[in-house]
Amino acid sequence: MSKDTTVNPTETNKLTVKERKNMFHRWIFFSGLGYNFETQQAPSVAFSMRKALRKIYPNDDDYIKSMDNQYKYFNVTPQMGNIILGASLAMEEKDGIKSLNAVQALKTSLMGPFSGVGDSVFWILLPTIMGSIAGYMALQKNAIGAIIWMLIYVALYWVKMWLFNIGYTSGTKLVTTLGAKINIFTDAISVMGLMVVGSLISTVVKVYVPLKFQTGKVALSLQTGVLDKIMPGLLPVCIAWAVYYLLGKKSWTPTKIILLIIAVCLLGSLTGVLGIAK
Amino acid sequence: MPTFLQNILIIMLAAYMAWDNGTGNQITGNWPVIIGLLVGLIMGDMGTGLSIGGTLQLMSLGVAAIGGSSIPEYGVATIVSVFLAIRTGASTGTAIAVGLPVGMLTMQLDIIVKIVNNFFAHWSQRMLHEKKFDKMDPIFYLTVACWMLKYVIPIMLVVLFGTPIVKMILHVIPAWFTNGLTIAGGMLPVVGIGMLLRFMPVKKYLTYLILGFVAAAYVKIPILGIALIGGAAAYAIYKNNSQNLVKSDLQQEVEGDDFDE
Repeated sequence: MSKDTTVNPTETNKLTVKERKNMFHRWIFFSGLGYNFETQQAPSVAFSMRKALRKIYPNDDDYIKSMDNQYKYFNVTPQMGNIILGASLAMEEKDGIKSLNAVQALKTSLMGPFSGVGDSVFWILLPTIMGSIAGYMALQKNAIGAIIWMLIYVALYWVKMWLFNIGYTSGTKLVTTLGAKINIFTDAISVMGLMVVGSLISTVVKVYVPLKFQTGKVALSLQTGVLDKIMPGLLPVCIAWAVYYLLGKKSWTPTKIILLIIAVCLLGSLTGVLGIAK
Repeated sequence: MPTFLQNILIIMLAAYMAWDNGTGNQITGNWPVIIGLLVGLIMGDMGTGLSIGGTLQLMSLGVAAIGGSSIPEYGVATIVSVFLAIRTGASTGTAIAVGLPVGMLTMQLDIIVKIVNNFFAHWSQRMLHEKKFDKMDPIFYLTVACWMLKYVIPIMLVVLFGTPIVKMILHVIPAWFTNGLTIAGGMLPVVGIGMLLRFMPVKKYLTYLILGFVAAAYVKIPILGIALIGGAAAYAIYKNNSQNLVKSDLQQEVEGDDFDE
């Protein structure tokens, strides 16, 4: 590096494609691993920017100043972090140490909205749709759903690379243009998710009541004779509604609801109200 | 496959899962159905792996670690459940009832790891200030190792000591109890569904929820077909809304111009 300092800085400070890719890899393969309660993902940000920034700032003091910035609080959906880090890298590359305040402002102002979008797309919607399909297929001992899921997530690598390049090339101005479009996309894909969830209620929630009414010689099974006649999946719908309702109450956490269901099932099994469907 | 090799592979899977789940890759993540498939393959019983993984997957739908919050570790629960079910022959429900508490305990480890990581973060920044730049990467790799221990420790304990304990429990508990747990295994996916509905715009798009239900319960369309119909509906809504967006943008511009004049 000492040789580089003698050359005209404007030439040496430009990052090559390979160095940018290296930053991207360092982020995407380690983005959450440095997570702590004080600065959240900051250690991972510092780790991923470290090499690229060293190239931009051959001077030790400038480098430390810039790196101190990276150790500040940062938290975003890892997949969306590419855009922000790409944009901040481009800014530091262009303006050097003068850009530090602007970079910090960019990071703080973007991580909120980008997480909102990223969390709902990458943490809720995709896992919902893929999880429902793969989980449902797995219950029938079919591995294809799980394999497709893995392949889709491998393919997402190129999507993340594309996002990183968008951030690097368009910098700050992309927020306004991309923001509104992505909200519409999230809204639309929720519809797909809701349809899948609706179908899940009747197919994967299993409640079976083995009770039978005996009047003389005629036996009437409560499950097939009454409940299924009213509506297929009547009990699963009622239970789903009850859980949905309870989750809206502050005092009920998912863990408590899981325990409640286990308790009800144990009681149902002991009394014979609930059984295992053949 | 010899059990010793299986044990090693399971522990390695736990380490990989921790790493993958902490990044933006999520190729195995800690998604139960994928982990279930992998554990099933290692243990030589893919069917059990898939059915337990599938059950836990549906249970955990919508339970997301948003903003770095700590949630029950369903991936760990899956490894434990599948491993013990195949080793001891426990039923799906019983295996899950053993696996879930381990997943919940791992959640506590997650909190400890995130506290310890804070120490590493300060250490690495101190090295920066002392201009020992080449120390920063090794410190970060220590953080990564610490992060992996979060899953490796509980899984290792279960792999080493779990089987005899669970076998003993299975010997003691009565049939109605195991039956009850199996019934619970069938009913628990409802928790994930409820969580999801809480996250999604149910009130705005209730129509599509009902459509999905009717398509599955009455028309008996398989889930992939329903996903395709949903995709078509999503595409139509996306197109419609983005046209509206363009229109409202134009209107705003026109209004803006008027204001300037």
